[in-house]
Amino acid sequence: MTSEYRRPVPRPTMNPELTAPFWAGTKRHELWLQNCKPCGKFIFYPREACPECWAHGDDLVWTKASGTGRVHSYTVVYQPAHPAFGEFMPQAQVLIELDEGVRMVGNMVDVSSEEFRADPAVLPVNQRVEAVFEDVTPEWTLIKWRRVEEDPVPGSDTAPTENPWANDPRYN
Amino acid sequence: MSFRGKAAIIGIGELPSRRTIPGMSTAGLLAQAARLAIEDAHISKDEVDGLVTEGGSVFPGFAAEYLGIRPRFGTGVSMMGASGATAVLLAAMAVQNGLASNVLVVMGQARNPAIAAEGEGGANPATEFDFPYGPAAGANSGYAQVYKRHMDRYGTTQEQMARVAVNERANAQGNENAVFNGQPITYDDVIGSRYVNYPLRLLECVMPCAGAAALIVTTAERAKAGLNRPAYMLGGGTAVDGLSGMMRPELTVTPVARSAPTAFAMSGYAPKDVQFAQFYDAYTIIHAVSLEDAGIVPKGEIGPFFAETDTTYNGTFPINTDGGQLSGGQPGSAGGLRHVVEAARQIMGKAGVRQIERNDLGLVNGNGGMSSVMCTLVLGSANAL
Repeated sequence: MTSEYRRPVPRPTMNPELTAPFWAGTKRHELWLQNCKPCGKFIFYPREACPECWAHGDDLVWTKASGTGRVHSYTVVYQPAHPAFGEFMPQAQVLIELDEGVRMVGNMVDVSSEEFRADPAVLPVNQRVEAVFEDVTPEWTLIKWRRVEEDPVPGSDTAPTENPWANDPRYN
Repeated sequence: MSFRGKAAIIGIGELPSRRTIPGMSTAGLLAQAARLAIEDAHISKDEVDGLVTEGGSVFPGFAAEYLGIRPRFGTGVSMMGASGATAVLLAAMAVQNGLASNVLVVMGQARNPAIAAEGEGGANPATEFDFPYGPAAGANSGYAQVYKRHMDRYGTTQEQMARVAVNERANAQGNENAVFNGQPITYDDVIGSRYVNYPLRLLECVMPCAGAAALIVTTAERAKAGLNRPAYMLGGGTAVDGLSGMMRPELTVTPVARSAPTAFAMSGYAPKDVQFAQFYDAYTIIHAVSLEDAGIVPKGEIGPFFAETDTTYNGTFPINTDGGQLSGGQPGSAGGLRHVVEAARQIMGKAGVRQIERNDLGLVNGNGGMSSVMCTLVLGSANAL
């Protein structure tokens, strides 16, 4: 929010021109994804070719996404790769599966370091979440996540889901 | 025995060479060239089951992720200007040996001024989409996410995974080369060690070290005439998946689920025949999940397996008999090579105090790039031929 923001901001090293619409979207507090016209799949991270069908160019269309999804998995990071995160440790690095079917990495804004320190399992896998937009610098707005109510949540540490490979002949 | 007349090129693709191609990244150019090649070959993208890249600039796991393919044979060739020809040589060897049916060989560079400062090899979506969210050093975050999802999905516990570290440390006590030789640990030490990345604790993570390993491969004829009891190559397979967990269809399933069946099919053996295993173990969880995917235990049941099985060199199913990397140390790529060295050592009967008795058939697994690339080998004695 201030010019004193010391943590890393996005550094586009793949193709800044290609990913610009994504970051322009976050500045408007919207989540935009590429959508492949020929096969209908959503794409993230942004690419020059659809990973499903290798369509490219005008076949890939930027589309406003729902901004909702689920916690696919997460880790609570105690030792960050960058020292500027030191004072924010521990924090969760979450892998969110969007309702559009693609996944992205993020942080939770509504679970504090204290809560994670007290119980690192506090965040259930499959927790329903929605996007929150943080204007971290005048140039960059990051997408982060907060929990939203939904019941019942399928899958959690206390209730393992059925093993999907239980009937796979390779294992039985 | 050679691939003479056994492998062929059936499709080609090429983009115009220009001083630069504005607006395009290297990965994007590779995708376009690849599309031209499959169109020329009249095959579909889904029929591409092999991939060879220039490994110094484009890691095959990243290329597979970008292209959305999950080849069962993959490698990166780092032969500078000879990489192109060498890649085709390896593709032919893969096809000849049944490791793949349609191998995509793809190379290129963008020379895009917008990304020149990074160098082509440094172009990486993580700098843009991961680093702002405070990832851990190394591969900790990715493997911890696999761990968490495995716990959630199958009820695997941290207590069960601690057994991996305890047993490997016990094995390291029989190996003077191991970095933790002379430093035994208990179950309580592992469970009491601090978190680096929940659910991963410190003693569940590998120790970077200095060291080196080497071995010699020769023909069966020469091996028979040699002085050592040979460790025969009976089977092998690779498989590739997306580099980042973002792209994997299922976080708890690694490409070993595809590399091991290829290796077993070549060997004529099945998981139930395996007498011991040397499996890549940068972290307890990835070691455990790889054993599941190889079929050593049913998917999701590796936790109870470690809770109930003595996997030391005195045990019923010895695993990582030299202490593996968790307790032996990780001297760069030699950490992975050492799993093969230890398997050969056991089969050759040269393992000294840690020599196992049932040493005729061993399974080895190598893991790279956040489990995006895997290689599984079946090794055996003359009795297993």
